[in-house]
Amino acid sequence: MTELIAMSGITKVLKGQKEPRTILDGVDLTVRAGESVAIVGRSGSGKSTLLSVLGLFDRADSGTYALDGRDISRLPERHAAKLRSSHFGFVFQRFFLLKHLTAAQNVAMALINGQGWLPRRDRRARVMTALEQVGIAHLAKNRPTRMSGGEQQRVAIARALVREPRILLADEPTGALDTETGALVIDALLEATTRGCALILVTHDRDHAARMGRILDLNTGVLTERMATV
Amino acid sequence: MKRLSGRLRSASIIGLQGIRARKLRTFLSMVSLFLGVLAVVVVQAGAGIAERLQLSDLELSSGIDGTKVLYGVPSGAAAGQAVVDTVKGRTDAVAMFGFSAIIGEPGVRPINEGGSPFDQDWGGGMQVCDNSGNCYDPNAGAPEGQAIELRVSALTGDVREFRPYRPKSGTWLDFGSQPMMAPRLVLNEEAAKGFERYQVPAEMRIAGATANLTPQIVGVVKDGDQSPHAYVRLDELSTWLPMARMSDPNSAVDTQVLLAGSTPVEQVLITKLKALGAEGIAAETINSRKDMKDELNLLRLIFLAMASLVLIIGAAGVLNVGLATVGERVEEFALRRAVGTPRAVLAGIVLAETLLTGLLTAGLAIGLSVAGLKVLTVVVGPSQPFLQGVEFPWSAGVSGIVAGLVAGVLGGFIPAIRAAGIPIATVMRA
Repeated sequence: MTELIAMSGITKVLKGQKEPRTILDGVDLTVRAGESVAIVGRSGSGKSTLLSVLGLFDRADSGTYALDGRDISRLPERHAAKLRSSHFGFVFQRFFLLKHLTAAQNVAMALINGQGWLPRRDRRARVMTALEQVGIAHLAKNRPTRMSGGEQQRVAIARALVREPRILLADEPTGALDTETGALVIDALLEATTRGCALILVTHDRDHAARMGRILDLNTGVLTERMATV
Repeated sequence: MKRLSGRLRSASIIGLQGIRARKLRTFLSMVSLFLGVLAVVVVQAGAGIAERLQLSDLELSSGIDGTKVLYGVPSGAAAGQAVVDTVKGRTDAVAMFGFSAIIGEPGVRPINEGGSPFDQDWGGGMQVCDNSGNCYDPNAGAPEGQAIELRVSALTGDVREFRPYRPKSGTWLDFGSQPMMAPRLVLNEEAAKGFERYQVPAEMRIAGATANLTPQIVGVVKDGDQSPHAYVRLDELSTWLPMARMSDPNSAVDTQVLLAGSTPVEQVLITKLKALGAEGIAAETINSRKDMKDELNLLRLIFLAMASLVLIIGAAGVLNVGLATVGERVEEFALRRAVGTPRAVLAGIVLAETLLTGLLTAGLAIGLSVAGLKVLTVVVGPSQPFLQGVEFPWSAGVSGIVAGLVAGVLGGFIPAIRAAGIPIATVMRA
């Protein structure tokens, strides 16, 4: 498999405090298409910051970040937005579903983002496909307030998958769910890897991490690989 | 272009979803904006109606803008004949020969001596002068009787091409038919008032006429003249008052020639009249709109300034609601950025919402103004003639829409910038 993501020497320092604090300290990371990677670590270890840099929410202070062999370390915001739309899917701990929209409309939100335009029929087809992939197509017309936490998170996953991303970034997606529902959500995420999508999962849950192909430990800004079996 | 279309569509769809999701806030924005837009629409409509009314009244007495009026036409018979010969049968030039006349009982003092309006007394009648220059009042010592004095304009053609007299009743002079022995008269409203108020026999006396005439009154028009006035075909009158007699100094004839802007008649007529010894003859183009524009513009500016103030207060309301809404939607905007929505589209979403709100408000304000004007014309119109036939000016509608859009931009600009600047990390930290 070719390297989809190649990070080298990524450093991120938080400024604006009394003492600048190094959050990421020379992180090296490679991820291939279809690979699943868990990033684990204590709270405040920099997992979310790493995910921010990976997802182009934030820029590293130094180091290089290549996507498909192309250096995107210093990408202007409008190009970064385009890449986020075309290459990345995001799943967060909180689902961030818009209460006034139905499940289908929440998923369609990722398609109505000013990056190109899909006719309504195509949009609807893609939304339904994404909802089917996470097993909740029957809830397409329901609003989030009428769904369980697991269902809501699966809508959020469908929203992340609807643009057929190459990389799925999930930040504690099971944090607000019970164990059983959490497992179902991880199933849905892993399902995407079978279609060639890389999955990077930030989690505190050892069981969920164990289901990933690789586990990376982030400790005081330093990323190290550990055995898949924890 | 395709990219721009996608962005516009995205911003519009999300903006509409936002409006539907926050109906109360949209309503509050509209309430604050409504008065401002309404003020602009009303001021514009008022100014437009006032301008139209003022202009249409001026058109009655002066002529439609672009009409040329020939001044300095001498009163001699030769000059009069030259005018008639030149403009007769033409539609691009009309001559009006004006003189005084009395209709009613003979040998009596007219009710409105001097041709004054019937509710005014000008305190004097006509003066007749002899060849040695001695003038006297021909009605001196005569008893008061049922006769009215009025100004008569004898026309060579249909003058309404230049002065759009408004028909009130009956018909206008028919220049296409054969002239009649009994001259047909069209009265203005003040003259009609006199005929309605007094029992006046149909006998018309004009200085210089070969005999007293029996006119037929065929219609009434509004001509903008406050004094009694009547209009007659020159060819019907000339049977009784030949051109040679019109030069009688006691006829007090005044001659006006109204010309279309580009007619060759002007040059021909001026040449003819100059050949007859006329001096200082010149054509002047009527431009009433320009003349009154400064006055109207000043009034409009004052009222627009007041309306703008109300509009700014309305925009401040939209701004306030917009900022509160963006504050509430921080996570939504951060999430939208996370899924690849560019900053410009985020700003566009907020602006689309405020612009749509502004447009909706403008639509309501315009609708209310149109309905209000309709009600006003129906309820108050009969007692206020200036409101009759008044229509809502389209320029006021355009102004209302522009005001709504401007207020939408003003009120939405800062919230839009704020929305575009929300960091994506907001969703990571939540």
